[in-house]
Amino acid sequence: MPSSATATLATRPSIGSQPTPRPRRHRRLSTPYLLLAPTLILLGLLFALPVAYNVWLALHKVTPYDALGDGTFVGGANFVSVLTNPKTWLSGRNTVVWLTLVTVVLRLILGLGLAILLQQAVLRRLHLLGVARTILLLPWMIPPTVAVAAWKWLLDGRTGLVNKVLVQAGVIDQGIPFFGELSTVWPSITAVLVWRELPFVVIAFMAGLQAIPSDQYEAAAIDGATSWRGFWHVTLPNLRPVITVVGLMITIGSFNNFIYVWLTTGGGPGTYSQVLATQLYSTAFVDNELGKGAAIGLVMSAVMLIFAAIYLTVGTRRIDD
Amino acid sequence: MRRRQFLGSLAAASAVGTVATLNACSGKSDTSSNGTVNLTFRQFDPPTEIAGLKKVVKAWNDTHPKIQVKLETLAGSADYAQQFAREANSGSGPDVVHLGYVNVKDLAKPKILLPVSELAEKSAPDTPIDQFLALDMNRFDDKVWALPWTVDTFAMAYNKKTMDKAGLKPPTSWPELLSTATKLGKSGTVGFAFAGASNPDAGQWFAINYYLWSNGISLISNESGNWAPGATAEQFSSAMKFFNSFFTSGATPKSMVSVDSINDPQIVAGLADGTTAMTMMAPQTVRQARDTSTEVVTAVMPDGLTDGSTHLGGRSLGINAATDHPDEAWEFVKYLNTAKAFADIPQYPAATTVLDKVDAPDGEEGFQKQLPHSRSFARYIDGPVPVDTLQKLSCAAFGAVYSGQKTANQSAAELVDSIAAAIKG
Repeated sequence: MPSSATATLATRPSIGSQPTPRPRRHRRLSTPYLLLAPTLILLGLLFALPVAYNVWLALHKVTPYDALGDGTFVGGANFVSVLTNPKTWLSGRNTVVWLTLVTVVLRLILGLGLAILLQQAVLRRLHLLGVARTILLLPWMIPPTVAVAAWKWLLDGRTGLVNKVLVQAGVIDQGIPFFGELSTVWPSITAVLVWRELPFVVIAFMAGLQAIPSDQYEAAAIDGATSWRGFWHVTLPNLRPVITVVGLMITIGSFNNFIYVWLTTGGGPGTYSQVLATQLYSTAFVDNELGKGAAIGLVMSAVMLIFAAIYLTVGTRRIDD
Repeated sequence: MRRRQFLGSLAAASAVGTVATLNACSGKSDTSSNGTVNLTFRQFDPPTEIAGLKKVVKAWNDTHPKIQVKLETLAGSADYAQQFAREANSGSGPDVVHLGYVNVKDLAKPKILLPVSELAEKSAPDTPIDQFLALDMNRFDDKVWALPWTVDTFAMAYNKKTMDKAGLKPPTSWPELLSTATKLGKSGTVGFAFAGASNPDAGQWFAINYYLWSNGISLISNESGNWAPGATAEQFSSAMKFFNSFFTSGATPKSMVSVDSINDPQIVAGLADGTTAMTMMAPQTVRQARDTSTEVVTAVMPDGLTDGSTHLGGRSLGINAATDHPDEAWEFVKYLNTAKAFADIPQYPAATTVLDKVDAPDGEEGFQKQLPHSRSFARYIDGPVPVDTLQKLSCAAFGAVYSGQKTANQSAAELVDSIAAAIKG
């Protein structure tokens, strides 16, 4: 029913012989709200309340040792302090370039390539599809902390397996502390993150590829399209919604990511691999400045909103086209 | 009707379950129907190091049927004090809590702990409260908020066989340490291993401070009531160059720039198997290394016999301000500080009357000689900057030099600025 009609019915005075009983009408009006109430309460408790508390924290000087509600109101001072700190901009650059851009692009390219490889008929013919999928999923099954611990050992400058192999093969004279040198620290963090998180992208792309109707490929083949043209004109356009959603999800996940940098380098060497999430943590829980930590969190959220808006606009426009 | 009854029962069961779960999670003491007081004691040392403590708690429970203590371990959590604060602020948490000295002031300020000096007035411990070491770290606003329990410091741990083979003796000054370690490094041995990572909790923090204190400077100092950086940029730069020369001279392998823990397995194992000649270690870690090789022994750190050149660390015992049984909790804290308890707890007691009777285990002579000269971090605790922040800033500044991210002069100037900014708040 159009909303105008609903409004008319709701505001029309009752007609003499068949008056609508007031309580019943009220009940009917409030029913949608009552039905929605549990969801709204849950959303409020789980999302709106923490966000509101975070905003409150960002406007106060407060430590992790203070009781709930304790703190001194400082207005926007925490935001000024965070945004005028040169370390925030270094962390921001690392977050955007290395942690997000590089790892997202790598995962999308490698993920798509692997998904297409896993779709090849030859794997099915040789009964290797299950094995290949299982191997692919392994990194994702390992908890990130365990994965990082394993990689830290593998890449250790003195006792790490990678260095031992490279030294024995004569590639290098002495071990490289991959997480301790400027030239290797970011490629190493990126490698660990991409290795651990790639399976999700591959699985999503495989699902997308399986949903593409085979007649589109058949039609393209009849028209004489090469494999490359088939990929460009059939696969990619069909996968665009999946790429958009996956891209958005892993962008948000990467931008907010804390664990890979914190556990591998703690932001070092020096401050070279500091990112916003690690800066937030160390500000809030090492320096005991919860308010400034919350301000960094809100700045990060604002950036993510921009990312999300761009992604959704571009994605929606292309789907409409 | 049946459906309504079912939903009603479900709701009631959920409510009962929720209340029961919340009660279970609170960890707070209770009194059972037979009048027994149940206390919770939370400690954060690794489970591998608490066999003695478990024995002592069991002995207490056997002899105090009316006050039963449950030992709870929260190991591996860097923010154990903040975790306790969150619980205590909401009226829950353990009754007795194990704390690092540096955390006591943070918990005393919001009055999450009970001042033990007031409890001691009612019932004094075996050792008078003013005869405990590291009391300065546990005092705030003229009250003592937690009772120092154990003390430790970092001594020079070395592999005797490796040093003898090279014809070298443990160094007694920092320049001598560098030259000795360099000689060892040239023969393929790790001369001096130290955790040189830039993490906020990296182990190099202790080496940095020992060096600064030995040279009469510190990270922060109080000059006639005004807090300021405790050294000039030139002095910090000189310290950074000194530590960097361990890497450039080959005395310390470059791989140590990504090692953050002073107890890292490669440091402990290296010292035990003799591929590492020297490092700095806490008593527990020395014992761990000596389990593998008795060639691991200790000496004092360079300049370690000068008062205040090394740190006095350790653990305190605090009582939750929200406990329902402060007197019983205090009785238990007093018991943990007795000579009888320390007969089974393999640590150095903070109670001086008990410490005097302790014989240092084999290989720990370095600790025994150094401890009377060690001083707590009170020189930092009283200041406006959290000790953790000073550790974060200094480890990152020194780490930036080792990796070449910044020159020593650049990094030192930034360290002075960062400390000054932290003082300003």
